[in-house]
Amino acid sequence: MSEASKAAACAPDPAGATPRSVMHAMPEMPGGDPQPLAAQAASLPGPDIPPLGPGHARPRSPPPPAPEDEEDDDDAEMEEDDEDDDPKALLQAAEEGRAPPAPGAAQAGPPPPAPAQLVQKAHELMWYVLVKDQQRMVLWFPDMVKDVIGSYKKWCRSILRRTSLILARVFGLHLRLASLHTMEFSLVKALEPEELDRVALGNRMPMTGLLLMILSLIYVKGRGARESAVWNVLRILGLRPWKKHTTFADVRRLITEEFVQQNYLKYQRVPYVEPPEYEFFWGPRANREITKLQIMEFLARVFKKDPQAWPSRYREALEEARALREAQPSAHCPRSSVSED
Amino acid sequence: MQSSSRRMGVMTDVHRRFLQLLMTHGVMEEREVAHLQKHCYKVHDSSATADKLEDFINNINSVLESLYIEIKKGITEDDGRPIYALVNLATTPVSKMASDYAENELDLFRKALELIIDSESGFASSTNILNLVDQLKGKRMRKKEAEQVLQKFVQNKWLIEKEGEFTLHGRAILEMEQYIRGMYPDSVKTCNICHGLLIQGQSCETCGIRMHLPCVAKYFQANPEPHCPHCNDYWPHEIPVFDPEKEGEPTISRPHRKSLRSRQH
Repeated sequence: MSEASKAAACAPDPAGATPRSVMHAMPEMPGGDPQPLAAQAASLPGPDIPPLGPGHARPRSPPPPAPEDEEDDDDAEMEEDDEDDDPKALLQAAEEGRAPPAPGAAQAGPPPPAPAQLVQKAHELMWYVLVKDQQRMVLWFPDMVKDVIGSYKKWCRSILRRTSLILARVFGLHLRLASLHTMEFSLVKALEPEELDRVALGNRMPMTGLLLMILSLIYVKGRGARESAVWNVLRILGLRPWKKHTTFADVRRLITEEFVQQNYLKYQRVPYVEPPEYEFFWGPRANREITKLQIMEFLARVFKKDPQAWPSRYREALEEARALREAQPSAHCPRSSVSED
Repeated sequence: MQSSSRRMGVMTDVHRRFLQLLMTHGVMEEREVAHLQKHCYKVHDSSATADKLEDFINNINSVLESLYIEIKKGITEDDGRPIYALVNLATTPVSKMASDYAENELDLFRKALELIIDSESGFASSTNILNLVDQLKGKRMRKKEAEQVLQKFVQNKWLIEKEGEFTLHGRAILEMEQYIRGMYPDSVKTCNICHGLLIQGQSCETCGIRMHLPCVAKYFQANPEPHCPHCNDYWPHEIPVFDPEKEGEPTISRPHRKSLRSRQH
């Protein structure tokens, strides 16, 4: 996770903004709305709720095609090195891309807002980020602009900066640009010691346990886990694909749709097999957020064995841990709230 | 930037970790909150003696005040257990569930919410909710999908389901009380004792005032002849007895006289 580790994180310094653009062609972003996020995108409850500030009777921000406009305007180069991941540079590029074609002093937008309004926006953004993270939803920058910042998008840099500061000071969380390609942010715990918050609260995060179970199975197998294998394991927990569960409700939907939507799992058809079978893989988010060592500790806890009982996997996990430590002189591995709470 | 350091409260890593984990869980019962507090002290400051929970939380709230968020304490309506959640006090759309759900899903919740508030018992039947599926804003939703969305709400602790009927989870009441009072000022019910929002409870058959079950339990504690605090008529319902320490069903202290409209958890 080199990008996130090098990011200026919570307080990108004001002097750091360079006129350079880091936006580039994003082939993986579909021209229209990205599918899994479309459901979350149109999420405002509508005119029922009395708006508290001017930001809500607002025009919708331009949809994702805006970054593609960028291509024409800039000789953008994709730079993969350190300063790249400064969220401010990203925002600057976003703002450039979204500037109306006839920029004039009188743009189609409100006059500079009062500082109090910006502060309020920062608070709204803070809550938005916290709730999205709580729901394990992806923090997508265009969504943040559309849902929260709205017509204040010209000031989104300062809003974002303030939000990052608040999150760091009050919650001990770092708002980091997880991926420049997909413009995703993540909320990362910044407190030392970075250990597993396995609070003795019993099974309070059953989703995590279920997810870890599946991820562990995939990991131990060393390749994708067939759906039938996953259900064999879940059967031990009393979960069946056809039975509704008190906590999980529809388990099958949870693991084949929700976890996939949240990018923790991949659910793919096994090629060349008839009748059709499906298998699970680790999703990109699991790769980012969950370490192999965590899986080994989970296995050890669940099966009451020493992690050495899975010798090759344990070795792999130790290697990964060493590699991560070396990649980051600043002590901890970024992890999100999915770990063990 | 004017933030935490200026307030009387002091934020240390103990408080930060506490907030992180409270936010992760969404809503927590008092016992879990106490465990959590001890855990945070253990991790960051094992030498210090933990503040009393109430002071600990008030301290944090004094810092959160300027951010319009608060750790709010409530009581579950059906069995009187204290719960805590980090809630947003602003009523802007962004602050509520808006960020997680599609337009039609939010509208489904709104419809269910209306039915629940308008109902006498505080419960809305699955059938009645699903019958409104055609009226939803946004993309058309089939009844089968709507059932799943309702389950999602249960999973995320916005609704509770009992025997095919839905009511508001304690968390929803905590988080949305202000919004609900603002949206439905005429149909919203309040408790005569604590004046808080009331979804489930008991009501006086003569004058119509209502009380939460835990409020009933406290008010009529060990009173052999309960009378309505408003019209003084005989209180016709069974008086529940709650022990917030114990986990489990509240007990009923009187012989059954009228059917109890409250639900046991």
